[in-house]
Amino acid sequence: MSYTLRGRIETRVVGILPALLVAIAVHRWWAIELVALMLAVGAVLDLGYHRALSYQPGWFAVPLGALELGVVYGAMRWIGIAAPLVDALALYAVGWAGAFVVANAVLPSRRLEYAESGGEVGRIGVLTGVAVLVALVGGLGADYAVRPPTIHLHGTVQGPLVIRHAGTYVGGVVKGGVAIRSDHVTLRRVTVVGGEYGIDVEHAEHVMLDRVRVIDTTLAGIRAYDAGVMIDDCTISEPAGPLVSGILVTYSMGRPMSMISGCTISGTREGIATHSSEVDVMGNHVLGTTERGILLGEMSMDMASHNEVVGAKGIGIICMDHSMCEISHNTVIGARVDGNQNPSRQGVAIEAYFYAEAQVHHNTVVASPGGVQAFDNSLITRSKLPQ
Amino acid sequence: MSRRCAVVGSGLAALAAYTTLRRGGVAAEEIVVLGTHEDPTAVWRERAAAIRQQKMRSESDGHLAAASFPGLSVREAWRTGSPAPLVASLANRYHPSVAEFLAHAEKVRVRSGWKTSFRQRRVERVRAVDGGFELDGEEAVPHVLIATGHPGLARPAEYPDAVHAYEPHEYGARIVVVGAGMAAATEWRNALAAGAEVTSIRRRPPLRRPLNAPRPFFSKRGLAGFHRTAPVRRAGVLRDLSAPSYPPGREWDEPVESAMEAGRFRVASPAQRSGRDTQVICATGFLRGFRNDPLLADLVDAHDLETHEEWIVLAPDSTVPALTDERRTLALAGVAGQWAFPAADTIAGAKYAARAFLRRTCRTR
Repeated sequence: MSYTLRGRIETRVVGILPALLVAIAVHRWWAIELVALMLAVGAVLDLGYHRALSYQPGWFAVPLGALELGVVYGAMRWIGIAAPLVDALALYAVGWAGAFVVANAVLPSRRLEYAESGGEVGRIGVLTGVAVLVALVGGLGADYAVRPPTIHLHGTVQGPLVIRHAGTYVGGVVKGGVAIRSDHVTLRRVTVVGGEYGIDVEHAEHVMLDRVRVIDTTLAGIRAYDAGVMIDDCTISEPAGPLVSGILVTYSMGRPMSMISGCTISGTREGIATHSSEVDVMGNHVLGTTERGILLGEMSMDMASHNEVVGAKGIGIICMDHSMCEISHNTVIGARVDGNQNPSRQGVAIEAYFYAEAQVHHNTVVASPGGVQAFDNSLITRSKLPQ
Repeated sequence: MSRRCAVVGSGLAALAAYTTLRRGGVAAEEIVVLGTHEDPTAVWRERAAAIRQQKMRSESDGHLAAASFPGLSVREAWRTGSPAPLVASLANRYHPSVAEFLAHAEKVRVRSGWKTSFRQRRVERVRAVDGGFELDGEEAVPHVLIATGHPGLARPAEYPDAVHAYEPHEYGARIVVVGAGMAAATEWRNALAAGAEVTSIRRRPPLRRPLNAPRPFFSKRGLAGFHRTAPVRRAGVLRDLSAPSYPPGREWDEPVESAMEAGRFRVASPAQRSGRDTQVICATGFLRGFRNDPLLADLVDAHDLETHEEWIVLAPDSTVPALTDERRTLALAGVAGQWAFPAADTIAGAKYAARAFLRRTCRTR
């Protein structure tokens, strides 16, 4: 198709309709915001496409879609849209596929001149486009009007701080821990010092912990219990005792999938541990733990990818106790031999234990004498798990 | 019910126009199609058969239904259960088979009600009258689309005994193929496959391009600039685009290269033609220009229409400006419509004229 600039933009506006309908159906503000962002990014890129592409073959939708995905993701992070990554990717996929179908099937079948008019959509299309824009602007306006408050924490707050209402808390230092007991809470660039749990999330979902720092806790840096959390770019260090875990996600199977990404955890007993939960553990650095680096356990269904585990004692990454895990693209360096003679703790880099099933591929294991092993009726496969 | 629209001609462009009108809500009883062949693919089919054409040069949307979707790739994928045509179409590598194209054209013809509107008659004279056009002096019709097709086969005078590529023929042991376009390239392959020695006679090296015209010329993006150009320059563009060409690709190159290595294919200028050749095939396409079409020539002379070189000057919507107003429309489709749409002799071109014609027809409903 040789698009005119107007045709590109009109087609894009009409093509966003399927994604917008999905966003409205899921009743999540981030979805509306993400659709608006997709539209805005696309419209800006259209200016460049128009100059660069006098003709766009159908297959170009694939590389352009990948490019736009990268830009949208970056913009989403930059703006701070609190979207669960998997859900956001799914919505993007719906948007891309919907736009493709609209541009290649719906519009060419409904409007005879669609191709020869360079993608311009005519009167009905313009009305649809206006409806899309009105819905988006209205949605964003409503989103803005009812958005949770943003509270800037200045200086040091003596905690524990208990949060029972949706809101965004930015900056500051909280002593004695933060307890989150409400959905739709965001902590951004908050430092937490002390407490049993530095940040404790219970019975809540759509909680985002963005660039938080936790030190000097006595049980765990972050605990999520029966919760759905996104933890991004956190730092957990300087535990107050030898039994402190880094991040603990427990009994959250009925909640939306949690995600732990880009965190640095050092010196704790276990770095990241999940129990009966569904968690995507991605791109974290777990350093010098006194026990296992990453534990995926108790019938969890987890993914661990692109993590770096250095100097864990006994085991680097373990999938255990009837869990089903996908462990890929991780680097495990220097898993140390535990002194207790248990063969399953002899510096094993990646392990499946006690009726666990782990799909393991594309990992790098360095200086870990136990290698990759399965114990006690567990199974390690090097290809995709059977569906 | 009185006739509101007339389509003069009964070829592919006429069927494209007819299906477009029908899709636009014009009843079959409001349209009359005046032509020499009830089967709109008949002439084209004979020519394709003559050059043993197997594949279309056009792509998935090169079909005669009014809307471009679903195209022939979608239909083939649906019929065969294979996604391969769809994938090929996304990469602009899908070219439907001639059989696929013709089968679909027949379905379109039957579904559209063509038979209801068709009258077997050669129109020899179109005259503008108040509120419409008389066709051979009969009752006036307000909106007329002339789609008479190519005015005839081009036969170079220096080859009086030659057979034209678009006429039925077999292959001798030694063949001269005159020309350098799609038909010539097809004839090289056919003759080589039949075991002949081939000499290609051409005035210039053939152009290689996927379609008849650059892709932007098929949409408003390229057409807007084309329509703005001055007549002299526009004629120059059309001359360039009418230079013989055929698509790039190994399927065209490989047989010729192999034969060249084996000494069975050579290129010669017109002056170098060898005397021992047994058969000359003129793959020289069609006569060009409105003067070669008696109906158009008469129309231009009778109404003193504006022309430029071999083209009738048209408005961007393929209508004849001097004979089109709020109450009546005279439009040209097919090769005669090149002044408005450079690739007018393609299916896309036929549809371009048809859609513009439909817009005018609907406006005066």
